[in-house]
Amino acid sequence: MELFIQQLVSGISIGAIYSLLAVGYALVYSVYNFTNWAFDAFMAFGAFMAFTSISSLFLPFWAAGAISIVLTVILAVSAEKLAYSPLRARKAPRLFMMISAMGVNLAIVNIINLIYGGTFRKFPVDALQPIFIGNVSIGRTDLVAGGISFIVLALLWAFLYRTRWGLGVRASSIDILTASLMGINNNGVAVVVFTLTGILSSVAGIFYGIKYAVYPMMGMVTIKAMIASIVGGLGSLPAAIVGSMILGILETMVSGYISSTYRDLFSFLFLIVILLFFPNGLMGKSVEEKL
Amino acid sequence: MGYLIAIIILCGINIVAALGVAILTGYTGLFTIGHAGFMALGGYMSAIMVKELHVPYPLALLIGGTFAGLCSFIIGYPAFRSRLRGDYFAIATLGFSEAIRLLLNNTRGLGQSLEDSTSRLGQGTSSLLIKLGGAFGYMNLPNVTTVGVVVITVALALFFAHMYVTSQYGKNSIAISQDEVAAEMMGVNLLKTKLISLFISAFYAGVAGGLLGFYFAYLSPSLFTITKSSDLLAAVVFGGIQSLIGPFITAFVLIGVPELLRTFAEWRLIIYGFLFVIVMIFRPQGLLGYVEMNFSFLGRWWNAIFRRKHTPSQEG
Repeated sequence: MELFIQQLVSGISIGAIYSLLAVGYALVYSVYNFTNWAFDAFMAFGAFMAFTSISSLFLPFWAAGAISIVLTVILAVSAEKLAYSPLRARKAPRLFMMISAMGVNLAIVNIINLIYGGTFRKFPVDALQPIFIGNVSIGRTDLVAGGISFIVLALLWAFLYRTRWGLGVRASSIDILTASLMGINNNGVAVVVFTLTGILSSVAGIFYGIKYAVYPMMGMVTIKAMIASIVGGLGSLPAAIVGSMILGILETMVSGYISSTYRDLFSFLFLIVILLFFPNGLMGKSVEEKL
Repeated sequence: MGYLIAIIILCGINIVAALGVAILTGYTGLFTIGHAGFMALGGYMSAIMVKELHVPYPLALLIGGTFAGLCSFIIGYPAFRSRLRGDYFAIATLGFSEAIRLLLNNTRGLGQSLEDSTSRLGQGTSSLLIKLGGAFGYMNLPNVTTVGVVVITVALALFFAHMYVTSQYGKNSIAISQDEVAAEMMGVNLLKTKLISLFISAFYAGVAGGLLGFYFAYLSPSLFTITKSSDLLAAVVFGGIQSLIGPFITAFVLIGVPELLRTFAEWRLIIYGFLFVIVMIFRPQGLLGYVEMNFSFLGRWWNAIFRRKHTPSQEG
């Protein structure tokens, strides 16, 4: 029973990190109708910036986090300006946007690889003692990662549903052309969306780095976020969060009770099973619908 | 000379796999970043056929390819039935290839866990899995892939790919890549066409995997990483959508040039990345996008050289 509760808490915290990633994908997907493949590169970039700020510049954790967020936002917005917006201006098909994003991803990940090398690094924060409740030990990093992820998600919700800018983003997600005819600044929306993407990927990268390790290919974990959003149902934010939680808990349960080697295999099998029996995802209505 | 031959063989193998990706991504419009997984399946299957069951080598290649093609239905059927497209199908293929790699990495552990089984089938599976060697690789394969074999395979692959894309199924595939809804309304069976296209594509990858194994004389999961899949995708993206000859040329260049310029190996993927973006912005159809492979230019050259007196209008 202790093991079960420990794994559950750990699963919820990793699920929270997945939901940051899944929500980041869903945001871009809902507005621009393409998957931002560079997202995992942003995540690795964010983690490495925080890593460098702590290990080389000896900054405190919060300052490193802030620097990482700012730099990742700059990276995300410049990727949108240089690689995506010229294509959008030409009304290029989605396939081209996707390939362009993959290019950004390849370039950034391999530049990181060239500079830092491909080794796994421990994120330089002091190991926190786990909290004991009875016999159950709960990792404080899990609590912090899960807690901050939920706060970020709540802030994102508040931004999207309680501010004028958020209204603009939501309007653009329904129909970007009509939204711009109604006086919404398209370029402004793009900057807002990619700023949010940058924040989400940086936070997710830092916490994933703390929980596991910092390495150039760490962005591969975003495949889980994609699986989670397919499991939940494509293109909707709440479904992405539910899917991420289910996947996170499933993975930690598999690691705890079966074997951590086959964790990824199980998440993939889970995807196939879900696709076979719930073709639209657990909460999805139709593939064509959005946000 | 030996080095040059080695490069030609590697180029040829990659051309076969890249033609497979061209059929799926270039013609049917289904984006894949998991073809390394199909290469691994085909490679291991044909290696098992030759080494354990002593099947003749060319037949083993075909069996490997067919096996990879059949395995592609595991991912293809659920994905296409639920109309996963574009990005999400790409993710499914990536997940599939990573799962294959994970399993191959752990065949030893799996084999040892089956060792206690009493049935003969269990015993056989267990010893086979241990022989596959997990992350260490499947060693001591016969070294039978020669330049001749590769050149013949490439020629056959190109011929059959050309036959496919000019056939009714190929036309259906192109229709799907342009507009799925319109294609369905014109009576194209989406599921069937996509599955056929995926099968052929995986078959090509599987044959390429087999050739690779019998060239290196070993197979290991580390040969079939996501980098391999990105290389294949890069060949198709740079070579051009809806073209076979484009990916053919770029697969040759993309594999050949880095082999010759080994010192820049770590810059290769960075350059690919920037090239992806630049190509998409300035020449999104790729170098030879929408250029059908045909040999009519040979006829024109023939006319130009030997029948100078003909005017262009008479040539038609």
